[in-house]
Amino acid sequence: MSSGSRFRVLRALLADPMGALGLGLVLLFVAMALFAPWVAPADPIRLNVVEKFQPPSLAHLAGTDQLGRDLLSRIIFGARTALSIALTSVGLAGLGGLILGMIAGFGPRWLDAVLVLMFDSMSSLPMIMFALAVITIVGPGTGTLILVVVLVSIPAYARLIRAQTLSLVGADFIVAERAMGASSARILFRHLLPNVIGPLVILLSMDVPVVIMLEAGLSYLNLGVRPPTPSWGNILYDGYTSIRSAPYMVLIAGLPLVLSALGFTFLGEGLRDALDPKLKRGEQ
Amino acid sequence: MTVLLSIRDLDVDLGRGGWFADAAPLNILSGVSLDLMPGETLGLVGESGSGKTTLARAVLGLQPVSGGRLWFDGAELTRPADFRAIRRRAALMFQDATASLSPRMTVGEAVTEPFAIHRIAVRNRHDKAAELLAEVGLPPEMAARYPHELSGGQARRVGVARALALKPALVIADEPTAGLDVSVQADILNLMADLKERHGLSYLIITHNLALVRHVADRIAVLYLGRLVETGPTRAIFADPRHPYTRSLIAAEPKPDPRKRRADLAIRGEIPSILRRPAGCEFHTRCPLAREICRVEPPALGDIGRGRSARCHFAETMTEGGRHELEHR
Amino acid sequence: MSEPVLSVENLSLRYRVPGGAIAALRNVSIAVRQGEVLGIAGESGCGKSTLAAAMIDLVGTNAEVTSGVVRLNGRDILALSPVDRRRLRGREIAMVFQDPMTAFSPVLTVGAQLVDFQFNLDGLAGREKWRRARDMLARVGLSDPDHAMGRFPHELSGGMRQRAAIAAALLMRPSVLIADEPTTALDVTMEAQIVHLLRQLQADYRCAIVIVTHHLGVIAELCDRVAVMYAGEVVEEAPVDALFHDPRHPYTRALLACDPARIEAATGRLPAIGGRLPDLSSPPTGCSFADRCGIATDRCRAAPPPRVGLGPDRNALCHEVAP
Repeated sequence: MSSGSRFRVLRALLADPMGALGLGLVLLFVAMALFAPWVAPADPIRLNVVEKFQPPSLAHLAGTDQLGRDLLSRIIFGARTALSIALTSVGLAGLGGLILGMIAGFGPRWLDAVLVLMFDSMSSLPMIMFALAVITIVGPGTGTLILVVVLVSIPAYARLIRAQTLSLVGADFIVAERAMGASSARILFRHLLPNVIGPLVILLSMDVPVVIMLEAGLSYLNLGVRPPTPSWGNILYDGYTSIRSAPYMVLIAGLPLVLSALGFTFLGEGLRDALDPKLKRGEQ
Repeated sequence: MTVLLSIRDLDVDLGRGGWFADAAPLNILSGVSLDLMPGETLGLVGESGSGKTTLARAVLGLQPVSGGRLWFDGAELTRPADFRAIRRRAALMFQDATASLSPRMTVGEAVTEPFAIHRIAVRNRHDKAAELLAEVGLPPEMAARYPHELSGGQARRVGVARALALKPALVIADEPTAGLDVSVQADILNLMADLKERHGLSYLIITHNLALVRHVADRIAVLYLGRLVETGPTRAIFADPRHPYTRSLIAAEPKPDPRKRRADLAIRGEIPSILRRPAGCEFHTRCPLAREICRVEPPALGDIGRGRSARCHFAETMTEGGRHELEHR
Repeated sequence: MSEPVLSVENLSLRYRVPGGAIAALRNVSIAVRQGEVLGIAGESGCGKSTLAAAMIDLVGTNAEVTSGVVRLNGRDILALSPVDRRRLRGREIAMVFQDPMTAFSPVLTVGAQLVDFQFNLDGLAGREKWRRARDMLARVGLSDPDHAMGRFPHELSGGMRQRAAIAAALLMRPSVLIADEPTTALDVTMEAQIVHLLRQLQADYRCAIVIVTHHLGVIAELCDRVAVMYAGEVVEEAPVDALFHDPRHPYTRALLACDPARIEAATGRLPAIGGRLPDLSSPPTGCSFADRCGIATDRCRAAPPPRVGLGPDRNALCHEVAP
């Protein structure tokens, strides 16, 4: 029964042109990241100063940078960096938000009060300033980036889950479960979880591009991923420094950022409609 | 015969939230005592705000009580584990049947949910669902549906099927026909009557619909502001209500016969807020017969014979002749 | 007999849904005269709320009138421009809904809203509008109208809110008041009081009232004439006494028979109407009730039933009814 309902969501998602486009773009980037060593035409960090600043050609489909590295390969490996950071941090933050939010919504009132106070104080910190502060203390790097994103995003996710949980705890079907003698664990995992997770998945999907942008932005400022590891932000930075000699670099580094942002956003929007069992668009 | 459900002096107070607990707790139910015999149908009647739904939830331990004692089938319910145990033998049917079904569960999963909760092995969940659905007159294909795909009557039947899954001794039904069309309402009531006969069920039916209790209840109990004001056999109460509130309720019901229109108003005013319970008899603010004593002295729920009781200073004199005298004095 | 204030003639309306359309109203003709209370009775899905909405031109955007006219004080309102139609609402025709909470905005006081509803009365000073609003609240039986004027909708009880909603509807002295299930959300005692109030107001203002309800008790207490609807059609129309004491259409009879309030004896078993409503995305060619009717013949299933006149203000849509 549950596998049937999972296919229903997929069918509904594919029936929506925007959702299908979003899913397609996301799968494209995921494939790029997974199969980077096989699909990239060249080594992304191998220097070849002789061939520097080459515009797109048959040998280098996206041209080369100031050190003669193949840009297409750098972008493909950059997808690996971007997605591994974004998906890890958003995933961890989502999991943390889910657990804390459900505890706050379902647990005793005093625990709820403590957690809400924590969420509020966390989210009163400005994200960029907080990120800069952490980087200053811990030092730049992939791990730092993930830590910052997780800490900054947990409160928003937890608050969403808490609100969803609270609105469901008094719902008739939850009272009915209690009246039938269901344990708290059963109510939490069997009944509350499936009903609160939908909006979270949508929010997570829409936040992935935000993190990709943050990674690119911090890397651009040389505070994120350390060179020579390819990152879309590093490529963009290199492009800007040589915008006069090689203007194509900025455009090529910007394209995957825009496309992945659109892809995840469309997927999120599509999921919002597809996850609602009352909107049966896929079946009509 | 042992009493199936016995409630003695049940009090339910709601603490008022906030940092300063100086506000007195709200008294939702006060000193409610009721007995339900095996195979009996008891109708619990009252307006919204009378506490009738709270009473149902308190019986199943879903609502913390602040006083009183409960017995189920001779055993007293005290610890949380006792309440968990009676939830296997007493089932609750909700006013909004659709909302009481988990929106992401199919009907088949919903009706077999009680087995999963109590870890009772079922040889084949599909067959069991079909069997339960058949019992309430629904085809087995219905098991694959989701709650929002059901009509009001179908959702109600699914609610009945789920309530019956563990073969309970008691079914508590909160407004079992609210929101249903009259033709469907009759179907559901007939179904409940059949099931009662087949399984020897007891029903506690909570409703404000007097026409409903008149047909299904053996006895009725009338709640006003969380207190019982009249109890007794259904027929006797409808023929000769002894509390003015019961009388007003019966008179207020619109009669589906234009030749029996009431020229006057059967009951004035609204049920007072529990934040400001009237002094004396709590019904005196709306009572057509209220006297001085009613404003001062709260009447007790007095036995008036033949298994009846009423909470009124004039319950004894409220017979046909006596009532006439009261009204015209 | 006086001219009808509001009349619906051969009105057909359908809702567009994915993959087709649902025929919600089929050839409905009904009229209400000044000072008359018309009841529209029927079960859910019969089209009674759609009819009420069509009378005041408040049907949803997926509704489409395929034929017919709605005449208010002689004018065909469906032929008017949207601006002119809007002007009629509130002034000549007003509506009371089932849930009185939805009639008011939750963020303004009842008094502010009642004053605001009088925006059409240009010549009137604000203080005068306040006084009219206050007087109307007193008229509908709020015991402390000055206090109620300053309250927010959620601060009033359900019964008081419904009274305030009725006051709002009557402020502009409409010639027709449409009430869609006005007592369904209320307790028995509040229901009795609202029924009583509507009866008094009708006697005072002589406006025409249309009551839409599934509750036969409310119809019997309040209405002069009744139209019984089934599957988007008016199947029987009759003066209230005749309808309850001499119902002619088999559906009306079945409906009356299964109302527990009409059954005196405590039988334990109640009569029910078996079967279900026909699928209105493809209405049957014959009588819509034939599949559930005890006296249906082959003719009923084959041909649409005629509307049989049964005397003044009486007719039934049935093959088997004799004039």
